[in-house]
Amino acid sequence: MNMEQTPQRIRWVVLAILIGSAIVLTILDSTGLLDTVVGIVRDPLSAASAITAARTDTTLDLLSGPRDLETANAEIARLQTENETLARENEELTEIQRKYQNLQELFNRASETPAYRRITADVIAYDTNPAVRSLMIDKGRDDGVRVGQPVEGPRGLVGQIYRVSNDAAQVALITETASAIPVRLGDSRATGVLRGGGRGNPPTIDWIDLTTPVEVGELVYTSGLGGKFPPDLVIGRVIDVERNEAELFQSAIVQPATDFNSLETLFVITDFQQVDTSIFEEAP
Amino acid sequence: MSNSIYVAIPLMALLAIAQTAILPRVPVLGMVPQLLFLVALAWGLLRGLEQGLLWAFIAGIFVDLFSLTPIGLSSLAYMLAVTPAILLQGVLPPRRYLVAGLAAILATIIYLLVYFIALRFFDLGMSIDTLLEMLPVALLHGILIVPIYALMQAILNLLQPRRVEL
Repeated sequence: MNMEQTPQRIRWVVLAILIGSAIVLTILDSTGLLDTVVGIVRDPLSAASAITAARTDTTLDLLSGPRDLETANAEIARLQTENETLARENEELTEIQRKYQNLQELFNRASETPAYRRITADVIAYDTNPAVRSLMIDKGRDDGVRVGQPVEGPRGLVGQIYRVSNDAAQVALITETASAIPVRLGDSRATGVLRGGGRGNPPTIDWIDLTTPVEVGELVYTSGLGGKFPPDLVIGRVIDVERNEAELFQSAIVQPATDFNSLETLFVITDFQQVDTSIFEEAP
Repeated sequence: MSNSIYVAIPLMALLAIAQTAILPRVPVLGMVPQLLFLVALAWGLLRGLEQGLLWAFIAGIFVDLFSLTPIGLSSLAYMLAVTPAILLQGVLPPRRYLVAGLAAILATIIYLLVYFIALRFFDLGMSIDTLLEMLPVALLHGILIVPIYALMQAILNLLQPRRVEL
């Protein structure tokens, strides 16, 4: 045997063993067989990550505080000047502003009496993989979080629970390609399915009836169809409509209402009244 | 295998926490570098292919613990990426930091391509446009590998001081 070839052979054997192990792990995890083991490893890491994230936020707030205050003061001064000018020039705008305040108060009142059961959760980590986007929150199975539950942010729907361990859960964002949410448009009342476009691409609503006129700027809500998401959660706004007269359906590109880079606290909707679709299940 | 596994596991666990909880909050030039990947690559450049593969495997496991991707997929991508990059240093001129920079750029491009292909099997596919948008991270890695390489070299010298015969 040539002794010089032995280290090289060992090198390729190591490569083969490690690559084989990685493939086996990938297959096992895809089938859910590793969930328990992954949960055991992930829980202490999530806890450490939560503490680190909180400390990092505090440190960054301390570092960026004075600058933000300066910017905010400048912005307030600019807005005050602008507001005074507009108020003088246009009484109608003041009337609209009053109506807006009334609507805002109504909205606040409605949010105080939610029909859905929610739990709050803090974002403790972001996805480590540059190719996909997800969040990790500090609530898990012990808090009643289950796979598939919708997750809502201050501005609208964020995504749904993808994986759960005892003390943490992973949230797949609505922008991910695996995401498919039945939606309804605010003005045209058209329905369709919102699909994520993947990292860097806006989601798209497919399967909108071509006969329904869809306008840019329409708000997008969950329709509640399918029972996985409650109805009327805000998702975003239509920024473009793609119509092809040769096809039966049109599609709309959506700008999500949520800024996924600045989420800190979220709601997990743990219970809601599902849309009754039993009528469709009855035998003809 | 070697005893370096006892260093790699806790180190990668700490780096994974930093990667998820700190780096996304302080992006470098608007990008989040892959710290675990760079450390595994730097270690491989210093200690050879087997060690690089082992560290890449462990790094990938910790990355997937905090990711939507199935456990093992990042290990696969990292190992396939570091292998040619580490082998490349044998044919390049002996300028360590330049080689490390080039290796990091090459390895990053390969692992992005591996992800691009592999993610399609798990319904998490990304578009060509997204892939192209992410390519600048290869240049960032090419720069960041230099201090990481130097740090790993210093740690290695500390743990295994060079024997001097008097």
